[in-house]
Amino acid sequence: MPQNCIQVKDLTKTYSDLTAVNNISFEVRTGEILGILGPNGSGKTTTLKSILGLIEFDKGSIEVNGLSVKKNRNEILTNVGAILEGARNIYWHLTPMENLTYFAGIRGIPRKDIVDRAEYLLESLKLTDVANKEIRQFSAGMKQKCALACAFIHAPAILLLDEPTLGLDVEITRTIMDWLVDVVEKEGKTILITSHNMDFVESICKRILIIRKGEIISHETVKSLKEKFARKHFLIDLQNKPHEALVESVSSLGTTSTSGNSLKVELETLDHLLPLLTALDESGIKMLNFKSVENDLEDIFLEVIREKS
Amino acid sequence: MKTLNLFGAEGRMMYWSLRRYMFNTVAMVAVLFLIFMGMFWGVKTIGGSGVTGNSLDSMLVGYILWVSAMLALGNTGGEILSESQRGTLEQLYLSPLGAHRIFFFRAIVNILFNFIIMTIMLYLSMAATGRWMTINLLYLYGMVFLSTLSLVGISFMMGGLGLIHKKISSVNGILSFGLIGLMLLPTYPMTPYAFLPFIAGAAAVRNHIVLGANFPGWWYLFIAANSIFYMALGLAVFKRMEKKARKLNKMNQY
Repeated sequence: MPQNCIQVKDLTKTYSDLTAVNNISFEVRTGEILGILGPNGSGKTTTLKSILGLIEFDKGSIEVNGLSVKKNRNEILTNVGAILEGARNIYWHLTPMENLTYFAGIRGIPRKDIVDRAEYLLESLKLTDVANKEIRQFSAGMKQKCALACAFIHAPAILLLDEPTLGLDVEITRTIMDWLVDVVEKEGKTILITSHNMDFVESICKRILIIRKGEIISHETVKSLKEKFARKHFLIDLQNKPHEALVESVSSLGTTSTSGNSLKVELETLDHLLPLLTALDESGIKMLNFKSVENDLEDIFLEVIREKS
Repeated sequence: MKTLNLFGAEGRMMYWSLRRYMFNTVAMVAVLFLIFMGMFWGVKTIGGSGVTGNSLDSMLVGYILWVSAMLALGNTGGEILSESQRGTLEQLYLSPLGAHRIFFFRAIVNILFNFIIMTIMLYLSMAATGRWMTINLLYLYGMVFLSTLSLVGISFMMGGLGLIHKKISSVNGILSFGLIGLMLLPTYPMTPYAFLPFIAGAAAVRNHIVLGANFPGWWYLFIAANSIFYMALGLAVFKRMEKKARKLNKMNQY
């Protein structure tokens, strides 16, 4: 298998007067989890669907395991699974086991060949107890776990996930996250994932791609992004809501935001720390807590987006 | 072998769905039976003693043909619509065997299932009317299968249009009811109407079962060629619409 299992070159897709994806190029390395971040309408889903051949792109090329998506789509699909955003992906009137059998069947795999794998997937996703219950009764998280199992039933080497944790609670998100990491480590799978959940992406992806208005504006490892955008934020809890005069004076020192009785300040330079403390002292509002926090991926994402605007 | 597994998957899907929606399945047979009985008593009441056994046989066979045609015609378009509404359509498009194969085998499974429903309906109707016909079921279903393939082709065209335009039920409705009139047109020996889908096969079934008419081998070959032509045309249109839907990103939208 080539080192880059997905190679996107100069991909462009236009819908009448809207350019959804504009000349983007990137690669996904075998055995990695690559995250794609971007605001709504930035072209993440179009990129993913172009790789799957669900959207016919206008220009550029996409190769999966060295095969062209335009010429060898069916061959590629034998080794790719996907969960698509905004869709159920599975049949709610069937049970998880029936869904697994059906999705294997429409890929030409006989039922007897998937029994062990289906049982393994159900067990690893903690679905064994409900394997023969109608999915309609399940919670959103369980439904998504079933969809994940179905996307994996044919043991694909590559998995494309579009917003797999959208609307899910923390516990289920954590289960899915652990499961994906496990699958990559144990089975050497490759995953391309889009998500709005920054913690999720930060936890499982080593590299991320930030897309805005159909263009890649950042393509680096999470580590290097964090180093590049390392900033000190100060989170100050006050006894009362910060008044206008305080906010105004602090704003001159750096980017400021308020939330209830808290004040979040990102200083332009650490030289401004003393004037900040002075302003707080002069405001007459009692300070309950003062702590410094590092930029998380969400802050970095917003900063990259702002910087490139 | 892969194709056989796909066929098995569609068969199982049909079985699971029927089992889960058992009430709907039973209601479907009941409704078909009640419609036929309504028609039967209507004809008896209006026609009085002028209604012969042959015309009642013809009505029963004609009804079976029309129901089979209607179900085949609405199949692929309806399936694409419901897959699209369910949010599972794109997953079908991720099958390396191609969505057109999935829908083709789904249509075949539907036709075969329809034969079971029709057999139940046929015997219920004969028992209720007291008019027992000696029907060669193998001939009946063999011919219905052969000729409804042409309508599966038309259904693929509708399905293709459904991918782009989504709601096409009114077009299906027009075609279904238009078929009632078309099925009465003469086709043998070789009229222009014989080139329409399904009509020649339906006429052959009706005339053979009701009137005992026999047809030469070439006529059956012509019916088969007619079905193959419309099936191929339907698939070609479907593939073209599929390409357009991919271009416009309309696969997932309803």
